[in-house]
Amino acid sequence: MPRSTAAASSAPTRRSLLLRGARLGLPIFLGYMPVGAAFGLAATAAGFTVAQATACSALVLAGAGQFIGLAALTASGNLTAALVATGVVNLRYLLFSATMAPHLKGVPRWQQVALAFTLTDETFAVNIADAREGRADRFSMTGVGAVAWIGWTLGTAIGATAGSALGDPSRWGVDFAMPAMFVALLVGQVTGRRELIAGALAAVTALALSTVMPGQWPVVVAAIAAASVMTAVPA
Amino acid sequence: MSPTLAWGLVIGMAVTNIVIRLVPIAALSRLELPPVVHRWLSYVPVSVMAAIVATQVLRPGGQWMLRPDNPYLLASVPTALVFRFTRSFLGATAAGILSFLALRYLLGVA
Repeated sequence: MPRSTAAASSAPTRRSLLLRGARLGLPIFLGYMPVGAAFGLAATAAGFTVAQATACSALVLAGAGQFIGLAALTASGNLTAALVATGVVNLRYLLFSATMAPHLKGVPRWQQVALAFTLTDETFAVNIADAREGRADRFSMTGVGAVAWIGWTLGTAIGATAGSALGDPSRWGVDFAMPAMFVALLVGQVTGRRELIAGALAAVTALALSTVMPGQWPVVVAAIAAASVMTAVPA
Repeated sequence: MSPTLAWGLVIGMAVTNIVIRLVPIAALSRLELPPVVHRWLSYVPVSVMAAIVATQVLRPGGQWMLRPDNPYLLASVPTALVFRFTRSFLGATAAGILSFLALRYLLGVA
């Protein structure tokens, strides 16, 4: 029956959508492996077992948040202080999560939990860009998240196991993996004059703030400021 | 480090992070947001990405690198061009890493 075959191949299956997402997530995978390995190394150096370090990345999936939490616990021995530190560093996800929300209407609750769990700076950037082109759906976003999670967890396991035998991963140029991906994402987001102005405003603001604010705070404050200015100023 | 403290950090961070990431999605995806909020949210992605690129490229590792031989800045050009013409994130990332390695080698900078 040629007609039904044609219909089946034109409608994307869950599997093809997941695989499409996995492909979109590959740059994230490349960038997460070395940073995950660095976390595995730091965690075992701080007295974590390989299992604890790997479970930490598998269950938390927060780059800077994990490093800060670990550092705060090592420095103070106080669990509450460590959890407050990781919470503060990850407050930016309130903004990213709110921005994703309109794109997750009608998505089943369990899948919202899975997508929220895999929400990072990088998966947010890839999925929101894809969503604004009208291509993202819950399965492709799950594919992006899964690949990012595998890269981060696998990287941590390798770093925790192999330790310093790995050498310096920066000689492979991986320090530019994340910047390169964000450059490409930025090019995709600048769709008009107003987007260009918003980006320029945010870039200048973030650079100015980065000399006085720690971590990702300059990015969050600059984004909030630029979005507010662009909303207030009529087109 | 005691197992209690280590597992306490793992579980505690897991709970903290999922709560922060899930609450806005769970609450807002059920609501009809006013147009002004949609408008505001529509400017968030480009602003976030521009802010991240600016800081990662001009302040790699948290230090200013305002030099003409900044390999992060220079490698951004082929990266952007490859994405502009191929629309491939993976291709652009690969091109970026390769040009970054080449530039770092040619310019002799760390």
